[in-house]
Amino acid sequence: MSFRDQIDFIRQHMKKNKLRVFMTVLAATMGCAFLIVLASVGFGLHKTMTDEMMSNQLLTEVRIFGREDGDSQITTADQQKMSELENVKAVVSRSYVDGVTSISMNDRTGQGDVQLTNLKEEEKANLALSEGEMPTKPNEIVIGYHFAQKLLTEAETELASQSEDEIPTGYTESMIGKTISLELTPLTEEKSDPKVWDFVVTGVAKEPAKDWMMDLRVLIDESYRTEFQEFTQPEVPAEESYFEVYVYADDIQHVGAITDTLKNDGYNVYSITEEMETMDLFFTALKAGLLFVGTIAVLISSIGIFNTMTISVTERTREIGVMKAIGANPKLIQRLFLIESTWIGVLGTIIAVTLSYGISYLANWIIPEIVMNIVAEEGMEDISVTISLIPWQLVAIASFISIGVAMISGWRPARKATKIDVIQALRQEL
Amino acid sequence: MIQIRDLCHTFSIGKRGKEKRVPVLKNVSLEIEKGQIVSIVGKSGSGKSTLLHVLAGFMKPESGSIQVANQETALLSESEHAAFRLNHFGFIFQNFQLMPGLTAFENIELPLKLKGVPKKERQINVEALVKKVGITQVADHYPNELSGGQQQRVSIARALVTNSPIILADEPTGSLDSETEQEILLLIQSLNESLGLTFVIITHDDEVANIAHRKYRLHDGALVNGGVLHVV
Ligand SMILES: Nc1ncnc2c1ncn2[C@@H]1O[C@H](COP(=O)(O)OP(=O)(O)O)[C@@H](O)[C@H]1O
Ligand SMILES: [Mg+2]
Repeated sequence: MSFRDQIDFIRQHMKKNKLRVFMTVLAATMGCAFLIVLASVGFGLHKTMTDEMMSNQLLTEVRIFGREDGDSQITTADQQKMSELENVKAVVSRSYVDGVTSISMNDRTGQGDVQLTNLKEEEKANLALSEGEMPTKPNEIVIGYHFAQKLLTEAETELASQSEDEIPTGYTESMIGKTISLELTPLTEEKSDPKVWDFVVTGVAKEPAKDWMMDLRVLIDESYRTEFQEFTQPEVPAEESYFEVYVYADDIQHVGAITDTLKNDGYNVYSITEEMETMDLFFTALKAGLLFVGTIAVLISSIGIFNTMTISVTERTREIGVMKAIGANPKLIQRLFLIESTWIGVLGTIIAVTLSYGISYLANWIIPEIVMNIVAEEGMEDISVTISLIPWQLVAIASFISIGVAMISGWRPARKATKIDVIQALRQEL
Repeated sequence: MIQIRDLCHTFSIGKRGKEKRVPVLKNVSLEIEKGQIVSIVGKSGSGKSTLLHVLAGFMKPESGSIQVANQETALLSESEHAAFRLNHFGFIFQNFQLMPGLTAFENIELPLKLKGVPKKERQINVEALVKKVGITQVADHYPNELSGGQQQRVSIARALVTNSPIILADEPTGSLDSETEQEILLLIQSLNESLGLTFVIITHDDEVANIAHRKYRLHDGALVNGGVLHVV
């Protein structure tokens, strides 16, 4: 029997029992759609998290915090070696001041995120200025884009503390060339007197990519590190002053390789690829779990297919007997029933995939809307949330499961059809 | 064409453990020549249908040999037997056994589909047969829209369509009135003459059996007089 004739034959049978076939396809559709939509949440959240992570962090950054053996310091020679690695753009050593800092400019005071760093390497890495120039002398500094906004007069500070709606504008003129004073108080048990250093601002960093990010950095040349340390922690020898090293790759695709190299060299390393791996692992497990639960729905719907096929074999016992009597091969009969159950699975899957894309679209549109209304926090509008995502891989997996299950559930009824006894079947009344 | 030797079959009936063994065919031996109409006549329950079922390969005999067109068919597997039937046998049943979902035309076409004959060729063959058995007017009717005689004509056409040399008929007129019975018997005779087909007709009715060239009588599973009863 040619394949076309087989298909014709099956179509004819399916037409005869439209309602039953429709209900079975509906069950298969619901099972498969449930599987896809459920798993799509795993894919959607994974994408949301990945996007969030990628947009909030410098992707090319590899952070090194000490050596794995714990005691020996990272030396300048080590840093030199790192900067000679392939695809490394810059190596920045960065540290924070160990004490209470207060920054003032004339009658204004402010809080800054004071960092001691190598400004030349910072420039190579990613530091771009919106205004001014990079420092050339040790006492020249670069400040963050929002720093001036937080440089408040006493009156402004008072105002800001009284009501949350009034946001003081801070210092609105150019900071370039201005001298600011850094007052440092050591964090010791007994009270100690602060000490003041003066710096000249030569550059202001570019505005951060995300508008909810605040850049309050005060970037001071690392030559002050020992000086500050001797003041705040005189008991610690200068050569043991702590700093972190950041290695910047020239491209995100090299981050993984650089991370691995540095790890092999015995450093404690953190990069986004590390975190991504952990996150990927988590989401892979989540997706597998959701697929598993979804597959149970498909299995439940397969009971419908099994039932329908069993009924239709029983109903057609006489016809199958006649077919066998006039010379139909039992294998052909088996194939006809298998194609029928497979076809039900395929139909169900096609409808389910279409339906799932619709549901996914609606979910991505409506759910964030509802959540935003409930949470209603400022700055949230900016975050794009994907609740449900259906990549082609998910469609492939779901189709495989759903059609596979349909075929398996048609297997027994099809076997039953081949075992029908011709004589018994012919004896059946019309 | 067909040689049956020492064919024996026993059914087990009743509950398991307490079965009774009922011999239904007892050393049946007979020979059927090509181009003949052969009838096997006997009372109800004498084992006629069982003999036909074994011959057709619907069931395996307990012992004995069956040769059809020089092939030992009792040894064939189920699939092999199906293929063998498709090429060597046509069937006419008492209840016609047409597919209710197919038109007369499509019912006749079915064995050709099973054989994988291309559509054009099928069309030509079926149309010719529709004319030959005289159902041109009702070829696109479904079985439940046809009279018994018309249904049996469709079933005869279905048996002929693959050009099988042997037609096996179990009570072909058992469900028909005597007038229609005559028509069908005449059709069988004319097909035998014009196409040289071999017919094996099973019947309880001597009148039907008498159209045969050879007639065997079966009584309690054994051939009466050990063989040919009468030759026309
Ligand atoms: N499947 C079966 N199981 C048990 N006994 C059977 C079976 N088929 C037929 N018989 C018995 O075998 C005998 C012959 O039956 P059958 O060949 O149908 O007779 P006929 O066609 O001549 O009327 C009958 O007594 C019948 O009851
Ligand atoms: Mg009978």
